[in-house]
Amino acid sequence: MRVILEAKVRKKPFLPIEAESIIPRNFLKGTDLAVYEGNKERKLVDLFRISVEGTAVTPEKIEVVLKGDTSRVKRIGEYMDAGKITISGDVGMHCGNFMSGGDIEILGNADAWLGREMRGGYILCHGNAGHYCASGYRGEKTGMQGGRVEVLGNAGDYCAEYLTGGEVHIHGSCGDMAGVEMKGGQFIIDGDATRPCGNMKDGTCMIFGTVRQMLPTFERIGTKKLPDRKVTVTVYKGDVANRGKGIMMVKGTGRSDE
Amino acid sequence: MTELLIRNACVFDPLNGIRGDVMDIAIRDGRIVESVQNNADVIDASGFLTLPGGIDSHSHVCGTKVNFGRYMSPEDMRAGRTARRGKMHVTSGYYVPTTYGNSYRYSTMGYTTVLEGAMAPLEARHTHEEFNATPLQDMLANTLFDGNWSIMEAVHAQDVKRAAAIVAWTLSSVRGFAIKLTNPGGTEAWGWGGDLTGIRDPVPNFNVTPAEIITTMIEANELLHLPHSVHLHCNNLGKPGNYATTLETFGLVPDLNKNRQTLYATHVQFHAYGGSTWRDICSKADEITKSVNAKPQIVMDMGQIMFGRTMTMTADGPMEFNLYCLHHNKWSNHDVELETGSGIIPVLYSKKSLVNCVMWAIGLELALLTKNPYQCLLATDNPNGAPFVKYPEIIGLLMSKRYRDEECATLHDGIDQRTSISSIDREMDWNEIAIITRAGQARALGIAAQGKGHLAPGAEADLAIYPIRCDDVDPATEYRKVVEGFQKTRFTIKRGRVVARDGDVIVDGANTTFWVNPTIPDEHNVANDPEFVKKFEEYYTVRMSNYPVQDVYLPRGRCIKTEADI
Repeated sequence: MRVILEAKVRKKPFLPIEAESIIPRNFLKGTDLAVYEGNKERKLVDLFRISVEGTAVTPEKIEVVLKGDTSRVKRIGEYMDAGKITISGDVGMHCGNFMSGGDIEILGNADAWLGREMRGGYILCHGNAGHYCASGYRGEKTGMQGGRVEVLGNAGDYCAEYLTGGEVHIHGSCGDMAGVEMKGGQFIIDGDATRPCGNMKDGTCMIFGTVRQMLPTFERIGTKKLPDRKVTVTVYKGDVANRGKGIMMVKGTGRSDE
Repeated sequence: MTELLIRNACVFDPLNGIRGDVMDIAIRDGRIVESVQNNADVIDASGFLTLPGGIDSHSHVCGTKVNFGRYMSPEDMRAGRTARRGKMHVTSGYYVPTTYGNSYRYSTMGYTTVLEGAMAPLEARHTHEEFNATPLQDMLANTLFDGNWSIMEAVHAQDVKRAAAIVAWTLSSVRGFAIKLTNPGGTEAWGWGGDLTGIRDPVPNFNVTPAEIITTMIEANELLHLPHSVHLHCNNLGKPGNYATTLETFGLVPDLNKNRQTLYATHVQFHAYGGSTWRDICSKADEITKSVNAKPQIVMDMGQIMFGRTMTMTADGPMEFNLYCLHHNKWSNHDVELETGSGIIPVLYSKKSLVNCVMWAIGLELALLTKNPYQCLLATDNPNGAPFVKYPEIIGLLMSKRYRDEECATLHDGIDQRTSISSIDREMDWNEIAIITRAGQARALGIAAQGKGHLAPGAEADLAIYPIRCDDVDPATEYRKVVEGFQKTRFTIKRGRVVARDGDVIVDGANTTFWVNPTIPDEHNVANDPEFVKKFEEYYTVRMSNYPVQDVYLPRGRCIKTEADI
C-alpha cells in the first residue's frame, strides 16, 4: 500500500507542523489522523492532499510518500516500527525520533535531530543533515542505541553525540564535536571533523578526511591498513581524560605524533 | 464576608484531640469559626477523611539551588508534562518540576503550607520570587547559617548574644523564618577543599567546632524566642558509620523550650548508617530512635527514600562531591561568599542496590520505632530522597505491614541481615498519620499559634478532604485505597476557599510568606556595629544597604514579631 501525502500550500508556511502521527502503522486504520499546526489541532486532510493506492494488513507493507514543501513538518516517523517513509523534499526537525524499525528515505535535506535516540531501522538522507544528527536528547546520557543512519551530504554539530549502539555514516563532513560522549557503536565520517569524540568512553570512530583541532587527550596506539579503503590510518585510544576505551581512526590530523 | 460550611466531615485534628468525629466545620473569611449563617455555601464531605491542610516541614522547592537542578536536567522536563487547563498553567518535570508543577501537585495532595529547607541569605530574592510563583501554599524559608563567618567569629568569642543579634538582623533582612545549619562548618571547610569528619573537628581558619556552632545557635535561637527551633542537617551525611556523629550531636541538645523541641534534626535517614564502608553498611535506626525516645527535646523527620530517579540538592557541598565520585554523572557545586555553599547531582535509587534498600528500610524504621509520632515526621527531603508525590505511598507503607512485606520481597536479599524492617509489626492509624503530616509539623515549626495545622475556631481554614471513608477502609489490607486516596483530595481548601477538586486546581491562588522579625535593643543591633559593617564592605560583593530583601518581593508577607532576651 502506498499513501501519498502532498503538502498543501499554506498561508503561513513557516508555522511548524507537529506530525508524529505520520508513521506507517497508523495508516492501517485509515487516514483520519490529527496533527498540530502551531498550537492548533488539525486533521491530516486539512494540510495534505491524501491519495491511497492498494491495501495492506501489516505496517511492513505500507509506504508513506511525502511530497511538496515538508521542510517545516516535524517529528515524521517518531516511534516508527515498520514500513517505509519516503520524503521527496526537505524534512523538518526530529524526523525518526525513537524509531525502532523500518526505513526512512529523505531525498532532500534534513533539519536538526534526525534519528534522535533511534533504536533500530534505517535512515538514508541524500542531502545534508542539521545539528544533533543521530544524537541523544539534551541532558540524557544515552543517545542512539541501534539501527543505521546514513547521510550522503554533510552533518551539523554534535553528530552522533552519546552514540551507544548502531552505525552512523556521514559521507560528507561533520561540524563541531562529532561523536562527543560516544559510548558504543560505529561512527564513520568520510569528510572532515572538528574536535571529534571528546569524553568518548567506548565505540569506534573512523574519520577519513582531516581532523581539525584534534583533542590532546587521545593516546596514539599505532597505525592500521584498511585495504578496502586503500588507506593507512592512525589509531588512537581515548578519551584518556575520562578513562575511555574508545577507538578513533584518523587519516590526517595536525598532530606531530602521527 | 464569605462563609462556608463543610458538612459530615470525618475529622482528625490531633492538636485538639479530635479523633474521627463526624462533624460540621464552619468557616468565615478564611478562618474557622463556631457557626455560620444559614445562607452560607455548603460542601458535603459525605463522611470522608478530613484533616487540617498538610504541612511539609522540609522540602526543596524554591530558590537558586532548585533552579540549578532544573538547568542541569533538561531531560527531566520531558516527564510530567501537562497542558494549560482552566486556571492551571502548563507544567513539566518530575523531580525538579516547574514552580507551578510543585504547587499544583502539593495542592492536589492536600498540602497548604511548605517550608523551603535551605535558603542562602545572599540569594534570598530568588527564593522569594519563586515563592510568589508557588501560589497555593503558604511558604516559609529556612535560612542558612552553617558557614557564616560573622557567626563563627561570635561562636569563637563565646558571645551568644552577638550570634543572636546577627541571626536577628539576617533573618529580618532576608525575610527568613528559621535557623538552618547544614553540615555546620563542613561547607566552609569545603571552600578550602576539605571536610570535617565529626563534630569535634575545628573549622579551618576559624578555630571553632561544629559542636560549638550547634550549641551556640541553639542558645541564640532561644534568646530570640523564634517560633521554630534550630533546624539541623547533621555532619557526615550519607557516610557509613555516621550514626555515631548523629548520636553525639543529639547528646549536645539541652531541653530549653517547653512548647516545642529544641532541635529539629532533618532527613535523619541519611544520618543513621552503621558499618564502615558501603560494603558493610547497615541500619542503626534502633540506636537513633532509642536516643530520640529518651529526648523529648528532639524532633526529626524521616528523609525517606523511594526507588526511582531523582535529584539530590543540598548546601552540603563536600557530600555532593563524594556522591559525584561514586556516580561520575553530572555534578554542580556552588559557593555563596561568606555564608554557605551547595552541590547538586542526579541519582537513581535502585531496588537492585543493597545500599539503597538499606536506606529505604532505615527511613521506615525511624518512623515506626519512634514512640511519639510528634517526634518523627513524614518527609523525603524532597527531592533528595524522593519527589514529594511519593508521600501517599509512604503513608501506605507506614499503615500496612502487609504492604511493607510485599515491597521487601521485591528488594535485595541482604536487607534482612542489615535492617530490622521485617520484624516491625507496628501499623500507624489515621490519627498518627494526621500527626506526622500536619499536626506534628505545625507544632515543630511553632506555627500552630498562627492558625496552622489544626481546626479550632480562629485557625486558618486550610483543610484537605480525602476520598477515604475511615470506617470502610482497612489500611492494613486495603493499602492501595489509602495510597490512591491520599494522592488526590476530594477538596483542598485554602484560607476558606476551595482551591483544588478531584486532582484539578481551580483557582489562581495567592500565598502568604511567613517571616520572623526579632526585636533587638539598639545597642546590640549589628547594623550599628562598625566591625560587622566593615566585614560587609570588605568581603561581600553587595553593599550592606542593598542586601535586605525589599517588601516588593513579599506582596503577601506576614511578619511574626518576637521580643529578644538580650
